[in-house]
Amino acid sequence: MTTLAPGANAPLAQGPLTATIGFTPVAGADLDVSAFLLDANGKVRGDADMCFYGQTIVANGAVQLSRVESGRVVFCLDLDRLDAAVEKVALTATIDENKARFAAFPHLALSVSGGIEAPIPTQDMQETALILGEFYRRQGAWKFRCVAQGFAGGLAPLATHFGVEIAVPTASPPATPAPVPTPPAPVSLSKITLDKSRASISLEKKGDGDFGEIKINLNWNRPTTSGGLFSGLLGRSGGVDLDVGCLFELQDGRKGVIQALGKAFGSFDNAPYIHLMGDDRSGAVRDGEWLRINGKEWCNIRRVLVYAFIYQGVPNWNATDGVVTLFAPGQPPIEVRVSEEGGKLGCCAIALLENVGGSVKVSREVRFFQDQQKADQAYQWGLRWSAGSK
Amino acid sequence: MALTLQKGGNLSLSKTDPSLTKILVGLGWDPRVTDGAAFDLDASAFLLNADGKVRGEQDFIFYNQLRSPEGAVEHAGDSRDGLGDGDDEAIKVDLTKVPADVDKIAFVVTIHEAEARRQSFGQVGKAFIRIVNSVSGVEVVRFDLAEDASTETAMNFGELYRHNGEWKFRAVGQGYAGGLKAMCDQFGLNL
Repeated sequence: MTTLAPGANAPLAQGPLTATIGFTPVAGADLDVSAFLLDANGKVRGDADMCFYGQTIVANGAVQLSRVESGRVVFCLDLDRLDAAVEKVALTATIDENKARFAAFPHLALSVSGGIEAPIPTQDMQETALILGEFYRRQGAWKFRCVAQGFAGGLAPLATHFGVEIAVPTASPPATPAPVPTPPAPVSLSKITLDKSRASISLEKKGDGDFGEIKINLNWNRPTTSGGLFSGLLGRSGGVDLDVGCLFELQDGRKGVIQALGKAFGSFDNAPYIHLMGDDRSGAVRDGEWLRINGKEWCNIRRVLVYAFIYQGVPNWNATDGVVTLFAPGQPPIEVRVSEEGGKLGCCAIALLENVGGSVKVSREVRFFQDQQKADQAYQWGLRWSAGSK
Repeated sequence: MALTLQKGGNLSLSKTDPSLTKILVGLGWDPRVTDGAAFDLDASAFLLNADGKVRGEQDFIFYNQLRSPEGAVEHAGDSRDGLGDGDDEAIKVDLTKVPADVDKIAFVVTIHEAEARRQSFGQVGKAFIRIVNSVSGVEVVRFDLAEDASTETAMNFGELYRHNGEWKFRAVGQGYAGGLKAMCDQFGLNL
């Protein structure tokens, strides 16, 4: 095991590697981790050289953001597959909207497979964006250096440092592209949270209508097994089993439901082009549940209503703290938080996706219903419901 | 052709470049672009007798004493931040003027206030130290501080020493905690 202080470097084992960033989460201050592929001048060649929550696979898979959990982020890197022009891969951490300084994160550490540990000394740090470490070429081989330097100004100076143009988020949806070819739009690294002040947004249109694989994640508070506050609220069995599901309607009029209850997992490649991944019955799989929509087939979809329902456990929406996040390639993630109280109602319609002239319009709903059938009625879906099981 | 020197390597400058009479020791680094205290590296030279000690205070050439009395060693001035390309600090040595009782000249690189600023060479972009034949401009040897002295804050880079009528260079690459003061103690200079 090699422990690196800031500035120190170490050789790397050959072959694919993982880099794990661990930290103790701080309430109210999201920590985002990204990787930048840099040329000999220390700059990205373009937006495709950034690997982050809005673009998790870059360089034909040579660098991937493979796991994001509370307090733990994992990158998979196959450095030998990178273009010769890429001289460095920098791993960075930024605090969303500069809501805290790194001094508030005492246990930030980076480790690289092969026994390299780089604890980041964050005591007294005023920075809100940090270069944690970097992989770099030296005399034909890849090495790793712990850096632990950054910027008090946060994401903006960090991005400028790497030659990335940041889009300033505006209140209005993006304008339609001009007919004359324009330089590629800067990638927005900010998350967009739909709330009462901005209840809907449209995904930026793609020329060929292919939105790529749209991933929708439902995540929520998982109480620890040791008990505490939540075990009293949720009964002795512990754990809320929150499920994600959706009602869908295709352009040709076909409609249906996708959810684990009733074993309707859908299909990605064929109609309805929506697939439910697995089933996390206890929230023990820490990144929640996932729906995937085949964005190449969006033209065949009319609308999708994404909901969460409590399969087991007492509804306590406030404690559950559910959040739906929509990830589409090349787009900033869109987040909808269930911040209202749903009382005893077991189903919450969280977000509605509508095909508006080919675009994907995402609207925050957060409306509570007794069950999916009642939600169906409210949104005039018209399906026939019967009791089901998982 | 420039050679890159590993620690402990021995290089006879006279043999690689017989015309050596004047050399330049160059120290360079990139200015800090991240937030925090600037990187302020300092080059110094110690003229040493056969016992490896200075003869007196005049043998310590550094940012506050730029010239040795007989003119053999001259420091071109302090850089507080590394701004500018190439060598940010330079020490010029005229080998023909070195007094007969000086057997060695040690070259030292330190980071100013390294402990207070929590800095080491590895954090400093492209930090290097090199020796150039200042008559021909040919770089004879270069040491990559950021890469090969990454956890050090002060280092004895190497020394010129007399041997059988020639001047040779020995790379030392010895790190020291305690900064410039520790180096001075090492060379018998009590400040």
